[in-house]
Amino acid sequence: MSSMSIQRSAWGVDSRVIVYAAIGAALYGVVALFSFVIPGSNNVSVRPAFAIVPFFGYAFGPVVGLFTGLVGNAIVDQLSGYGLLTAWNWHIANGLVGLIAGVLAAGSMARMGGKIVGPAIVAAISIVIGMLFVFSDIFVFGNDFNTALTGSYLWVLVPDLIAGVILVPLLVMAWEPLKESLGR
Amino acid sequence: MISTPRYLGRGSWLGSRDPRVPLVVGVLAAATVIQLWDIRIVSVLFVLGQAYYRTASIPFRLVRRQWAFAVLFVSILVLVNTILTGGAIGDFDRSDLHPLFYLPLLGTPISAESLSYGATQLLRFLTFITIGFPIAYAIAPSDLGPALARLRIPEKFAFGVDLTYRFIPSLAGDLQETIDAQRVRGYEWDKGRGGPIARVRRTVPLIVPLTMNAIVGAEDTIDAMDLRGFGTGRRSWLRELAYDRADRALLLTALAIFFAVTIASLMGLTKLWVFPPLLTLAGE
Repeated sequence: MSSMSIQRSAWGVDSRVIVYAAIGAALYGVVALFSFVIPGSNNVSVRPAFAIVPFFGYAFGPVVGLFTGLVGNAIVDQLSGYGLLTAWNWHIANGLVGLIAGVLAAGSMARMGGKIVGPAIVAAISIVIGMLFVFSDIFVFGNDFNTALTGSYLWVLVPDLIAGVILVPLLVMAWEPLKESLGR
Repeated sequence: MISTPRYLGRGSWLGSRDPRVPLVVGVLAAATVIQLWDIRIVSVLFVLGQAYYRTASIPFRLVRRQWAFAVLFVSILVLVNTILTGGAIGDFDRSDLHPLFYLPLLGTPISAESLSYGATQLLRFLTFITIGFPIAYAIAPSDLGPALARLRIPEKFAFGVDLTYRFIPSLAGDLQETIDAQRVRGYEWDKGRGGPIARVRRTVPLIVPLTMNAIVGAEDTIDAMDLRGFGTGRRSWLRELAYDRADRALLLTALAIFFAVTIASLMGLTKLWVFPPLLTLAGE
């Protein structure tokens, strides 16, 4: 398969992409109820379901990852009562995480470090880069840089890294044999 | 225990509107409120937002938990932000602030400006949430897809959103089944000792099987869509949407408020308003 066709398939939107994207977003919305506060932290809560975002990007491509993060986070906020549009920029940040995971997985990054370290690296990099978008809190909520850094970015980075680095490799390990049996 | 979207505004005035209306009003309200730092104007919008919310007739007892979470969350957020900023407020120079007292141990100055800023921020968030609730509860989930498509959102994205809402109840059911099945084996995700890593690992018996089952189940949906020729032509929607006079009036009102606030913002009339009694208290 040529690199041209790989690129086209990574960004194409067909029934498969739409269904996996919808499944990813719905899963994220449903499983997000499992969260807990890190003891001794400043109300920093870990949401294990967040790992679904980079995993869907990694397994099904950047479009699926983008949709899973963007729509999934909107649903989580909607179901929790925080409001669909209150922190719309955070939906985009989540979407970017899935998008970047998909882009990295389509490249050589995913082949580094095998089936455990590779996905963990992809998840970590996508979270670190994608979540940079929460600095838009400076424009949306009028926060200053320090607040955006400590109150938004680091606040979400640490728990998301914990969830992503642990769960994404496990999800990939469960998905790989399934993928082959489904003929993907 | 597991939340799924609920259509609580059925039959209400807002619930009878074209589903595009709450979506457009929500977007316009968000674009309006982020321009405002004068609590007097935010208060007016909050009151208007409450009146708008009332038209959705959402029973409070059914959303009490969501309101409690939202109010608690934004209160903590505003409080933590005030502490984290060390008393700094937007464009204000520290020498221009009017300190009222200093937080014990941290030494963070709490000024007339920071209290006004915190109160405005809190009301801004509550206005966002007030307008957002009808989007969550006064639009029939099956109307979201056609509404987004008619708003000229790419139809595949609109269909994806539609499909997402259709998957949520069945996935919530699957999650409950998985929880029950694991409980039978003596598993409780929130029981047991350990730090954050151990607790994340304890969610593996839930998240991994649920995700893999969902992916395998998705194959049937994909096959069904392919068999019906999905994506081979322009999609039509069963639900026909048309604005009536009330829809147009509501949209025009939201648009007028947005433009008025944008002009006021460009003229510098929406900046932070500091409560005069606090300035007096600070010895101004």
